[in-house]
Amino acid sequence: MRRLLMPGGMILLILAAALAAPVLPLPAPLAMDIMHRLAPPSVAHWLGTDEFGRDELSRLIWGARASLAVAGGSTAIAAAIGTSLGVIGGYLRGLPAFLAIRAMDVVLCFPPLLLAVLIVTLVGPGIVTLIVALSILFLPGFTRLAYAGVLQTRNLDYVEAQRVLGAGRARIMLRTILPNIAGPILVQASLTAAAAVVLEAGLSFLGLGVVPPTPSWGLMVRSAREVMGQAPLLLLWPCLALSLTILALNLLCDRLRDALDPQTAPRRRRRTMAAARPLAGAAATDGDATLLAVDGLTVEIATPRGPIRPVRDVSFSLGAGETLAIVGESGSGKSVTGLALLGLLPGAARVSHGAAVYAGTTDLLRCQEASLRALRGSHLAMVFQDPMSALNPVHRVGDQIAEAILAHARLDAKAVRARVVALLRRVGIPAPVARARAFPHEMSGGMRQRAMIAMAIAAGPRLLIADEPTTALDVTIEAQVLDLLAALQRSEGLGMIFITHSLPVVARIADRVAVMYAGEVLEQGPVAEIFARPLHPYTRALLDSMVPEGDGAEAGLPAGIAGNVPSLLDLPPGCSFAPRCALRRPACETLRLPLNEVAPGRFSRCPYGREIAAMAAPIPAARA
Amino acid sequence: MAWVLRRIGASLLLVWVVVTVVFMAIHLVPGDPAELLLSQGGSAPDPAAVAALRGQLGLDRPLLAQYGSDLVGLLHGDLGLSLQDQSPVAADIAQRLPRTIELLCAASILALGFGVPLGTLAGIAPGGMLDRAGAAVSALLLSVPVFVVGTLLVLVFAEQLGWADAGGFVPIDRSLAGHFAHLAMPALTIALGLGAMLYRITRAAVLDVALRDYVRTARAKGVAPRRILWRHVLRNALSPVVTVFGLQFGALIGGTVLVEYVFNYPGLSGLLVDAVNARDYPLVQGIVLVISVLFVAINLTLDLLYAALDPRVRGR
Amino acid sequence: MRLVRRSFLAGAAAGAALPFLSIPGRAAAKPGTLVFGLSSYPPSLLPWVQAGTAAGTVNLCVHRGLTSYAPDGTLRGELAEKFDHDDKNGWTFHLRKAVFHDGSPVTSADVKWTLEQVAAAGSTAYMAPQFRGVAAIETPDAATVRIVMKEPTATLPLWLAQYEMPIVAHGTGIAGKPAIGCGPFTIAAQDHGVSVTLKAFPHFYRPGLPKLETLRMVAYADETARVAALRTGDVDIIEYVPWNAMAAIEANPKLALQTTNGPFMYLTFNGSFKPFADARVRRAIALGVKREDIVKAVFFGRGSPLGGMPIPPGTPFYDAKLANGWTYDPTEAKKLLAEAGYAQGFSCTLLATAQYSMHMQTAVLVQQNLAALGIQVQLALPDWATRVALGNRGQYQFAVGGTSADSNDPDGLSAIIDSSLAPSVARSYDLPVPKIAALFAQGRAEFDPAKRRAIYDQLQRVLLAEAPMVSLAWRSQGYGLSRKVSGFYDMPGALTFFSGTTLEQTSIA
Repeated sequence: MRRLLMPGGMILLILAAALAAPVLPLPAPLAMDIMHRLAPPSVAHWLGTDEFGRDELSRLIWGARASLAVAGGSTAIAAAIGTSLGVIGGYLRGLPAFLAIRAMDVVLCFPPLLLAVLIVTLVGPGIVTLIVALSILFLPGFTRLAYAGVLQTRNLDYVEAQRVLGAGRARIMLRTILPNIAGPILVQASLTAAAAVVLEAGLSFLGLGVVPPTPSWGLMVRSAREVMGQAPLLLLWPCLALSLTILALNLLCDRLRDALDPQTAPRRRRRTMAAARPLAGAAATDGDATLLAVDGLTVEIATPRGPIRPVRDVSFSLGAGETLAIVGESGSGKSVTGLALLGLLPGAARVSHGAAVYAGTTDLLRCQEASLRALRGSHLAMVFQDPMSALNPVHRVGDQIAEAILAHARLDAKAVRARVVALLRRVGIPAPVARARAFPHEMSGGMRQRAMIAMAIAAGPRLLIADEPTTALDVTIEAQVLDLLAALQRSEGLGMIFITHSLPVVARIADRVAVMYAGEVLEQGPVAEIFARPLHPYTRALLDSMVPEGDGAEAGLPAGIAGNVPSLLDLPPGCSFAPRCALRRPACETLRLPLNEVAPGRFSRCPYGREIAAMAAPIPAARA
Repeated sequence: MAWVLRRIGASLLLVWVVVTVVFMAIHLVPGDPAELLLSQGGSAPDPAAVAALRGQLGLDRPLLAQYGSDLVGLLHGDLGLSLQDQSPVAADIAQRLPRTIELLCAASILALGFGVPLGTLAGIAPGGMLDRAGAAVSALLLSVPVFVVGTLLVLVFAEQLGWADAGGFVPIDRSLAGHFAHLAMPALTIALGLGAMLYRITRAAVLDVALRDYVRTARAKGVAPRRILWRHVLRNALSPVVTVFGLQFGALIGGTVLVEYVFNYPGLSGLLVDAVNARDYPLVQGIVLVISVLFVAINLTLDLLYAALDPRVRGR
Repeated sequence: MRLVRRSFLAGAAAGAALPFLSIPGRAAAKPGTLVFGLSSYPPSLLPWVQAGTAAGTVNLCVHRGLTSYAPDGTLRGELAEKFDHDDKNGWTFHLRKAVFHDGSPVTSADVKWTLEQVAAAGSTAYMAPQFRGVAAIETPDAATVRIVMKEPTATLPLWLAQYEMPIVAHGTGIAGKPAIGCGPFTIAAQDHGVSVTLKAFPHFYRPGLPKLETLRMVAYADETARVAALRTGDVDIIEYVPWNAMAAIEANPKLALQTTNGPFMYLTFNGSFKPFADARVRRAIALGVKREDIVKAVFFGRGSPLGGMPIPPGTPFYDAKLANGWTYDPTEAKKLLAEAGYAQGFSCTLLATAQYSMHMQTAVLVQQNLAALGIQVQLALPDWATRVALGNRGQYQFAVGGTSADSNDPDGLSAIIDSSLAPSVARSYDLPVPKIAALFAQGRAEFDPAKRRAIYDQLQRVLLAEAPMVSLAWRSQGYGLSRKVSGFYDMPGALTFFSGTTLEQTSIA
């Protein structure tokens, strides 16, 4: 809202000057002094005098009245009538909608200036004519906006509810629909006001607008143009006044749009894609079998309220041919972990600590972008959650797979095509030759994810990160895709990091599992052991909240845990799960423990693991 | 295909409505072409001569008869004769339209030339120096009315510095250099506003597309940044840019009145204003017809182009 | 008139190809080629129609009449070598040897044809009302024409010198038969809306003329562009030099400026609007306007105040005292208003047009001046077409006009001053002043110069008293020329728009 101050203030200032013109100590805007025509700026006439010796400053300020009257008047009328037409047309549909929208098409088909010229010639020039002409010109914008808005709104639940409750049509339109489309209408209004100022000036410039001697900026430009050789400054003032007013209105429109729609707000941030990352903590180098060793990975995002760390001190290792599942609720940092390993963090985020040593030699977190790029696809690959958005809609699937191959190998077109087809066949896509020529939107969800997987394995990676690859799919397809991944992993000897929020999926696919909560790994170990004997209260709570087997998609959601995931801006000082933990002790709220190896191959941050394991019955819900 | 045919049908209907509205409006407007032709220079015409001329021009027929014969003419591809000098309206338009199109093409090349690349650069580095400067400059350019830009350009480059001609038009066959010298300033005037708009649209589209998942996918594949920019970002950002550009181009065909006026450029808009001023009914109708047909055609082309750019639209 | 109907497609294809065709060998600076910057493209090139200055200038190159004006403004024989009147309302014209552009000789039959077409029922000719006063046209031989008028008409040779009165070949100049003239140039090409290219007619009757081989007339509707074109050498002569550019052209060593006070600004009244039916109110307005301010602010000092009948200074009927009978006198003006019963003033609307700055600005000044007399003036500034329509129909209260007389003879002003004629945008509406109409008729019938002078002196006095129109200011009408041009003259007074006549003797270095 603060960003609205500047343009809003400018407009208020212009408005105030225009309104106060009669009381300001200005020379009369119509008083002529032919003897002193075209005088340069002086104490008596700050901006000089025009071709009739009239005070330029006075005329400039009085001229604002014409501009603002036309802008305000036409915008208000167009907004009122246009919006009503759109709302009525959109809500009633059928014939009213047809008539409203077609009439607007006719208006749109006219060059705006011609329409204005015709109306002005028909009615005769003057401020009222201008307001009428411009209102007609601006109608379509509002009508279309309102129409589209209503179409979007009218089927929403609460509008439906109003109708069921028996609210009258007029009432629904006024009370429910209108407030919902008010935002865009407001933006359109400020845009329209700016356009009105331009058109008023343009028409007055052509002699079709304001009638002299009433001062108007357009008229002033016109007459200044005739004495351009003698008094060039006279041209400058009205041009400046015009441009500043329009600038203020345009800025207001921009800022209003930003305020109403945070998505389009300018993102001021620096990308650190290729920058060498500052690292603390030594890289751990494990044995030869280790494909990836992550140690102390911490990701930081700078926000206006200070940095937040969606991933903190995450460590795990993964052997070739092994599948590690990272499980957690949304916002637990599991996806960010995956993206950080590939150097694909969004712009605002950066790795602040840690190491991730790939194949015992390369620290992925310290790699230059160029060498990391060489690894992506060919060594490390990723399968994303929603294949519809992860695939480029405008390129054929086959081409997108080919791109993954060609990013790392020089092959002729024929060989690439053959490989693409082979890959598609490999992931179980029927008729792969034809499918390679399909666009993503022409495939089913499961088929798209198979294509996505084909793309991931296209350049023969050794490590595959699958980020919730089955979330967008229904259960049957989910099973097929999981089988496919498992089969691929076995046959290729891939190391796989499988990111999911679903415990049944973990049980089905993973060798080991890391449980993440609020950016930290709370427990890590072999799947079978953890499922049988969780050593962290959170893991336990997760397992307890699992609905008995076979109950579809709801399974695995830790709906049973009371309380909320803590905000990353306001993490508890001790154990991050402590506020929700039924077993918390006073120490839990102050003491922050590292991930300790509490049993061979078993890691947990909770020191009370044995007690949890000993409990047979579900842990009672914490008293908030 | 049915969709295309339906669109063409609707467009033809639209054009017919526009022509009819213009016919009614221009005949309703006070002023009489015969009287006007014989009152040049403020002289006093003989009322009998005015009546005779009205008869010769067919203006004494009932309005409906005039409308009917005009419409029949249009259906036969005949735009009629100018009321002023009896020259074929089609020839008048055919002479002016290419000049307007040339002006718009020159302006478009300039506008696309700086708007799209700069918008792309600003879009891939939001918040950077270029982006911040671009936001200010484009806001400014969008705020200065064309006739102000044009007039100031004339003031600075023609009046004060004497570098360029104040305006006019030189046929390309008379002097190639002169032709382009006279084209430069009006084209630049249009290009500044158009380019600023394209800059903003491109920046927003690139910014939007750069954050899409498929761009991340491409990076995950190890695709080179340049290729990502061209194949994934720009390819997808193209649709909104093309749409805005097309709509603007369409609107400008009949919307360059002020630029033509300021630079004395003999384009179609100027002819239209002259025709309205002279109440040259067939000429007004002919020009409006051509402008609206072009407008509709550009919209149609945009839809088809849209389908070419985005395979998702094709199926519908 | 709707004869040539080309199909849209064929026309479009032909036209579309034009700008991209390269036609070599039309360089601007070819010796013997002069480029003339017109103020507009001629809306019509019909021979007898008054279609504005640009059309007049082109027609003056292509056509010739029985009589014409010499560069100094004196009347002379043109196609008629000699002419004289007899005592029976008759004028006899002896034709010189001349040929039309199609090679046929100019004969008395062509003159008869021309005069009959002009006066015919359904004629659109500007001079039709005058030539309906012809009783008979006798052609005793091919080289002699005797025109017998219904009334004694002293002004017939003046009428025949109008550029709207060219003699065309028999059978041409009517629908479907483009007029064939006998002027010094022929039309070689027309780039519609842009230019007209003229070529010298080799069989022109004046030996050695025209001096130019090619004359290209290019339209520059925008005055700034027109001046720029002259300055950069794109054109050699421009018409309608804008007043704001005159000083710069004078100061430019490569250019020359020729001006004359020809056209003028004036006010017309609607007699059906009650206050303006009273001559005292009209006279009050005549005394209430600061004419110097108009000259200064609207015309950049290029012109002079005009407070009487617009007879150009230096012509035989000019009288300095009568020509400035109305001077700024607010006291007297207020007194007249009070006498008429408008001591407190009144409200009214002044019609002008926004399309032409000089009309608009004159209106603004008049409005300001009249406010001092208590007359509250609203401005109505529609476009020119509407302004003309409203003027012709008398749908206004009073209006700003700007025009020039047909000639420097006072009779050339009758269409502007004699408001008893049919309603017209050029004169006041519903405001007949019988005395003025009678005096114009007397002057037309009187052959003796001294007596004519007396008649027009009388007319000027009546005009000052009755004020059926109120003249405001002469405006300077100027041509800008390159110094390379010689032989072109801005002809004096109202004849400035006849200056195209001198293009026949114009040459370029």
